[in-house]
Amino acid sequence: MAENREPRGAVEAELDPVEYTLRKRLPHRLPRRPNDIYVNMKTDFKAQLARCQKLLDGGAKGQNACTEIYIHGLGLAINRAINIALQLQAGSFGSLQVAANTSTVELVDELEPETDTREPLTRIRNNSAIHIRVFRVTPK
Amino acid sequence: MSNAKERKHAKKMRNQPTNVTLSSGFVADKYVKHHNGGGKPFQRKKQEPHLGTSRQRSVKMSPQLSSEPDVNEQSSSKIMFKKKGGWKAGPEGTSQEIPKYITASTFAQARAAEISAMLKAVTQKSSNSLVFQTLPRHMRRRAMSHNIKRLPRQLQEIAQKEAEKAVHQKKEHSKNKCHKARRCHINRTLAFNHRQRKNIWLETHIWHAKRFHMVKKWGYCLGERPTVKSHRACYRAMTNLCLLQDMSYYCCLELKGQEEEILKALSQMCSIDAGLTFAAVHCLSGKRQGSVVLYRANKYPREMLGPVSFIWKSERTPSDTSENRQLWIWLHPTLKQDILDEIKAVCLCLEPIESSVCIPNPLLTPAQEKSQTGPDDEKISKKRKRKDYQDAKSVKKLIGDGTRDPSQPRSWVSSATGITVSDLTMELNRFRLIGPLSHCVLTAALKAALIHTGEADTEETPHHWWIDSCKSSDSVSLHQRQEAVFQLLGGISSPAEIPAGTILGLTVGDPRVNLPQKWSKALPDPERFQDNEKVRQLLLEGVPVECTHSFIWNQDICKSVTENKISDQDLNRMRSELLVPGSQLVLGPRESKIPILLIQQPGKVTGEDRVGWGSGWDVLLPKGWGMAFWIPFIYRGARVGGLKETTVHSQYKRAPNIPADFPDCLAGSRVAKEQAKDLLEMYKRRPPAKRPNYVKLGTVTPFYCPWEQLTQEWESRVQAQEASEASAPGGKESDAPVPGKIHQPSHEASREPEVMDTECQDQEGNERVLDQDASEKLVTATGSQLCVLRNRKLLKQLSVWCGPSSKDRRTPCRGHQDLTREACLSILAHFPRALVWVSLSLLRKGSPEPHTMICVPTKEDLLQLGQDQHYCGPQESRHSDPFKSMILKAKEKKKMAKKQNQGATSSEALAPGAPATGQEALTLGLWSGPLPEVTTHCSRTLLGFVTQGDFSMAVGCGEALGFVSVTGLLDMLASQPATTRGLVLLRPPASLQYRFARMAIEV
Repeated sequence: MAENREPRGAVEAELDPVEYTLRKRLPHRLPRRPNDIYVNMKTDFKAQLARCQKLLDGGAKGQNACTEIYIHGLGLAINRAINIALQLQAGSFGSLQVAANTSTVELVDELEPETDTREPLTRIRNNSAIHIRVFRVTPK
Repeated sequence: MSNAKERKHAKKMRNQPTNVTLSSGFVADKYVKHHNGGGKPFQRKKQEPHLGTSRQRSVKMSPQLSSEPDVNEQSSSKIMFKKKGGWKAGPEGTSQEIPKYITASTFAQARAAEISAMLKAVTQKSSNSLVFQTLPRHMRRRAMSHNIKRLPRQLQEIAQKEAEKAVHQKKEHSKNKCHKARRCHINRTLAFNHRQRKNIWLETHIWHAKRFHMVKKWGYCLGERPTVKSHRACYRAMTNLCLLQDMSYYCCLELKGQEEEILKALSQMCSIDAGLTFAAVHCLSGKRQGSVVLYRANKYPREMLGPVSFIWKSERTPSDTSENRQLWIWLHPTLKQDILDEIKAVCLCLEPIESSVCIPNPLLTPAQEKSQTGPDDEKISKKRKRKDYQDAKSVKKLIGDGTRDPSQPRSWVSSATGITVSDLTMELNRFRLIGPLSHCVLTAALKAALIHTGEADTEETPHHWWIDSCKSSDSVSLHQRQEAVFQLLGGISSPAEIPAGTILGLTVGDPRVNLPQKWSKALPDPERFQDNEKVRQLLLEGVPVECTHSFIWNQDICKSVTENKISDQDLNRMRSELLVPGSQLVLGPRESKIPILLIQQPGKVTGEDRVGWGSGWDVLLPKGWGMAFWIPFIYRGARVGGLKETTVHSQYKRAPNIPADFPDCLAGSRVAKEQAKDLLEMYKRRPPAKRPNYVKLGTVTPFYCPWEQLTQEWESRVQAQEASEASAPGGKESDAPVPGKIHQPSHEASREPEVMDTECQDQEGNERVLDQDASEKLVTATGSQLCVLRNRKLLKQLSVWCGPSSKDRRTPCRGHQDLTREACLSILAHFPRALVWVSLSLLRKGSPEPHTMICVPTKEDLLQLGQDQHYCGPQESRHSDPFKSMILKAKEKKKMAKKQNQGATSSEALAPGAPATGQEALTLGLWSGPLPEVTTHCSRTLLGFVTQGDFSMAVGCGEALGFVSVTGLLDMLASQPATTRGLVLLRPPASLQYRFARMAIEV
């Protein structure tokens, strides 16, 4: 980590949009289980909420209902992930509980050179992420 | 009675026995009865001819008066025969015709004859069809023609006869060949070779031909799309799973020589303005794949040749001299000839090498072998055949390339620069895996080759190169490092996480050995996803330079690998001889080792949404190994796509499709011309009432895009605007170069319609296509003015200007000017007639199609859009069709001419000629003659055309890609307010409805 940070500072000084183009790469992620939901800012909020609800309820075709789902949000989508989890909980009349974890995700930015003589560079940037576990509890 | 009825009757009567003439209704029948029953028939018959006329006359005069019933009856029946329609006259006649007496014996005889005739008629069937075909539908059974017992019992006998007959009719098979001999491999190979004289097959051809719609394109037989319905399934495979494509039809050119010389030569063909070139540091080291757009030497930005991708062999070479570098350029087959010629010219490589060191198999031998083995193989003995089989096999192996004449040389050397250019087309296989699961498929299907440890039985194995390389500890450790990197891939969920264009070399074992028993989908293994330093290193830095080394660069090793492949048959035999059926086959040192090269394809890199979509890996293999890798990939869950999937892939990546979306290169214009011709033919095949009238719809060019005219018109438009604002003092110095530039084109513009006019008058047929031809010829003669803007700085500038509200979010971007007159003019001075690649996404409804027009919205349109949220867009008013009346007139003339012809046949030679040409020149619903001004033809000004467009499953709305005129774009942007900047109207060729779309330029 430390040795990756070091060139970054050096790059920052000479960085020029005329010489480099910034390309963001996809975040490194783990294989998706069926009960993992990655929240984004493109899809409609209601659709994402409905998707979560469907997973918890067992879907239309009588599939097995998940007892717990994980909602992941990164960066700007953290707000929305929290919102979805709380909406789910509020709509369940106390049968759902939430447990949240936060983490830091390393994102890679690629700097593509515009001239032949320069090497492409990569920068590591950190972003916050949230992982909310929504699970069913038996109401007493 | 009508003619048809008669014919029907005749058909009914065809199989009637001749002695019973039941011809016309029951009266005739009676006549016969009487005739037979009434004794002395022959006598009467004899009399008839004589009496006929007089009798008739007498009947006419006095039918009732005749006292003799016999005569009367005869005459009446006779009349009825003549009338044919016996039924009509029947009823009056019948009552009187009862004979007075009959003789029993003769009567019975006659009946017996009749009955026997009837029985005969019943047993004979009347139609040509077979028995089982005459059965009613509900009694038919499957395979009736094959198995007689499936027929009803009473029909079986007849069917038996028929079947015997059919057997006799069948062509007899040659007796000296049993079924097995006919299916023998040697003949099949020969036949296959014969069938690919014109269009070469890929190694996976037979697999594809069973499952795909095949097309003959670019000198190859290629799978266009799967026969199963799989458009969406293929999209899902690209997005979530893994799609496999055979890209072996791509051509590879190899350049060998000193690095400086190659770079010096190739630097003339590309420009740093349009992106990185061959000299980019990371590509030059061999670490990454690069891509570049080639131009004719020193002609940038005009005379484009085509986009290519390239890889340098890494510098660390174990045996070769360090001076020589190797460069592979991969390109589309349509672009090959132009680029190869230009590269040869640039490198001064004009001396062909006939039997060179690097390619020891000139293609002359297979052709000779083929012609030898072709005719004699019928007479030769079995032993000979076996020998020939080997020959045929080698023929199959050597058969190379659809884009080149076999007698042509394939490598050229230059004494001045020391560069060797060789054409490696079809020497390598290239498979493309697209999608996030491609890592899983790769790691599951391929296993790194085992290292030779002992020196035991080294002389037995044919893989000496591998044993040799295993002797040095350096290369062993390198192999182990490569293997370690390859294994890391299994823990990365998408190829987009790896640096773009990463290259990884590898030597793998035979993938057929660990082929699973059943098809299964390789899924990511969560245990492999470890967040360790190695993975991070790979993600950040990519594969280390030394790991890019692969033996595939060495021609001799590739050749030996191809030749020493264990055939499928042998492998299966060995598998069947295993002690425990189904257990792992261990070949030990005999197992082939195949050098491969993996190249990461970055997918979608431009734009902001769906980053990394469609990323994947390309696998390069030595030839002959195609199917050995193809099936294992499929068994690991890869779905196969064809050419259509390639188009979809490039469309969703918003990248131009090669070669159709390169209008400024020769191949692109050729493709456009062919497409126009095909579409015109398809259009003409429909009846005029069932096809859109493009003249009325205001679509001047529904089948092609007149880029030349579009750019010219925009140039002269802006020029006219300038002239009207000549009094304005601003921008005088930037104006200065413009008039000189514009004078020439405007002169040309005035000249061009004339040329087309004259061309049109003396040409007949597909005048639209030919017009395009003519204009293209003209332009190539005067030096092509059309170019596509690929200067990255300008593109970035334009992309910022196109954005809807550029001010607030993009403030940190320095170096970007505001959209001012001066800035526009400076661009226009350099690129007076340029096009720019844009992507369009529809705001609401609508899915665009190719050749959709991109138009400039008026102020009122934008105003209305702002006011009404559900405003779809304006409508084009219906145009009038001036050609319809001309066509009608021509038709009338033709009719007149025909009438005249009927009168006087002498003028026949002249008449058909004139109307034929007139009619062919005019097609109802298409604009004929010289094109009008395309930009102002409709109510909204035309800006450009869409080249690819469809409903995008990735975005969920209609999306289109196309070109617009830079001049027009700048003009439009300058006049639009900042909030609605970049909004355009789209109108498909067969619709009057305009729809709003947002334009974006992605760099």
